[in-house]
Amino acid sequence: MISLRGVSLVYPNGTRALDAIDLEIAKGSFVFLVGHSGTGKSSLLRLLYREQVPTRGEVTVDATRVDKLRRSKVALLRRNVGVVFQDFKLLGDKTVWENVAFALQVTGARTKDVMRQVPRVLDLVGLAHKSRMFPSELSGGEQQRTAIARALVNNPKILLCDEPTGNLDPSNTNEVMDLLHRINLKGTTVLIATHNAIVVDRMRRRVIRLENGKIVADEERGYYLAAGGDRGTAAAEELELVRSRNGLGTNPLFSE
Amino acid sequence: MDSGRIRFFLSEVRRNFARNLIMQLTAIGTVTVTIVLLGGFLFTRQTLGAIGGNVIEKIEISVFLRSDATTAQAKRLQATLEHDPRVRSVEYVPKAEGLREMRDRLRGQIDTSLLTSNPLPDALRIRVVDPARARDVATFAAKQPLVDKVEYAQDAVEKLLRVFDVLGRVGLGVIALLVFTAAIIISNTIRLTVFARRREIAIMQLVGASGLYIRMPFICEGFIDGFAGAAIAIAVLAIARAELWPKLVVALSFLPLHAAAIDGPMFGLQLLGVGSAVGIVASWLSVGRYLRT
Ligand SMILES: Nc1ncnc2c1ncn2[C@@H]1O[C@H](COP(=O)(O)OP(=O)(O)OP(=O)(O)O)[C@@H](O)[C@H]1O
Ligand SMILES: [Mg+2]
Repeated sequence: MISLRGVSLVYPNGTRALDAIDLEIAKGSFVFLVGHSGTGKSSLLRLLYREQVPTRGEVTVDATRVDKLRRSKVALLRRNVGVVFQDFKLLGDKTVWENVAFALQVTGARTKDVMRQVPRVLDLVGLAHKSRMFPSELSGGEQQRTAIARALVNNPKILLCDEPTGNLDPSNTNEVMDLLHRINLKGTTVLIATHNAIVVDRMRRRVIRLENGKIVADEERGYYLAAGGDRGTAAAEELELVRSRNGLGTNPLFSE
Repeated sequence: MDSGRIRFFLSEVRRNFARNLIMQLTAIGTVTVTIVLLGGFLFTRQTLGAIGGNVIEKIEISVFLRSDATTAQAKRLQATLEHDPRVRSVEYVPKAEGLREMRDRLRGQIDTSLLTSNPLPDALRIRVVDPARARDVATFAAKQPLVDKVEYAQDAVEKLLRVFDVLGRVGLGVIALLVFTAAIIISNTIRLTVFARRREIAIMQLVGASGLYIRMPFICEGFIDGFAGAAIAIAVLAIARAELWPKLVVALSFLPLHAAAIDGPMFGLQLLGVGSAVGIVASWLSVGRYLRT
């Protein structure tokens, strides 16, 4: 489903974000991408939806050579690859329904299909009853579920998530992870870049660890931290680090 | 295109438009001014052309024959000149008629009865096809046998032609400048809208909207700016034409203004086309620059 061969990415300013990456991800898998800040997780995801083109190497997504894709074909790739971000990227002046429908409408979908697909995904993410609300009237988890619904409405085979729970409190995090799990069970390949040790350790799925743009570990049922360390305390420390980096901290006043 | 899709598209265009209403009005106003001036200029040029044509058509070359030329020789020379493709017509003016014309012209200014004999020679009066070649024809006529002297309003003709030429060039320059200004302002307006909508655009690109689909609302917006501006300008011109023009014709009755006939509806359509085209091209270019990632 996803394959990277000898992929390197050097940004125009000379930063080497990815260095000779080889990676295979099978259809229908559920994969975590972990590693310290600035190790290239987001960069790797960007290659898959053609936001970036590799400096070297081959990127194949669903039998398409993404690195060689013509500009005019990028739109078609993106209908087949849903993307979700930490900051949701919803449109504030559109309702939940309109935000989700937007993704179909701008691809020139027929109204008939919009009327069928939007309720389907809103049902899936459990937001059918809030479809007339605006993003500002939703909790963080509900906003992220709206974003997931939007990513899914074109029926993509792959869902890429860049820190999907980065802005969420634990209960919203669980809500969103359950949803991603259910989406995966329906056959969608899910790839999640995350700093959330608790989530990774609870799910026990394939974990790919990046360090300085290289894959340093790739475990089937892995943990957030590398084998050998004291996983229990280390995970808590890392989580603390991430929270402070995101400006959330442990102060309940600042956690959403 | 089902009605839902059209409604979605129109609501996107309306959102774009409302996002920056002041700027839209500025763009429309600029197009209006440009098209009013363009229309006024084209109309003036057409009118001047018609008046000028009228004057130029009347320009004649007078060919005076030697006093020993006979009527038959004069007629032969007339036939020769008439065969020249540069010549529109040649009129034979025997000296008796020349004198009568002169008496008419000078009546009341001098006492022509004092003339006891006719001092005028026989003459030929030539009208040319193209006033720009009057000099050639005059030179040619002067070389003919029995020709004594050739006169024509050489300076006047050439000055008039030069004035028209300069007017045309200056006018074209001014119009090019105006169209350019309008295009810049529309393009800035579109860029502001694009900037205001960068989140939407980013999401469209993310979910796989085609480039054309992303551009379309902006192109539409530019088209509306150009079209609306031109439409207002045409209304202004039409009112001016109905209200002011008849008064001008009366006030300047010594000029053959009636000669400047113009096909109003056709002219209006052309101006509308110019306005819309400027809007479309300007927005196409400015959106294209922004979306190239
Ligand atoms: N557009 C860019 N231009 C230049 N350098 C970039 C760009 N984006 C990322 N980088 C650099 O590339 C490296 C990898 O960045 P990337 O965003 O992929 O890391 P990450 O693993 O997603 O980090 P985080 O966990 O903080 O999100 C970093 O050193 C970063 O500074
Ligand atoms: Mg990142």
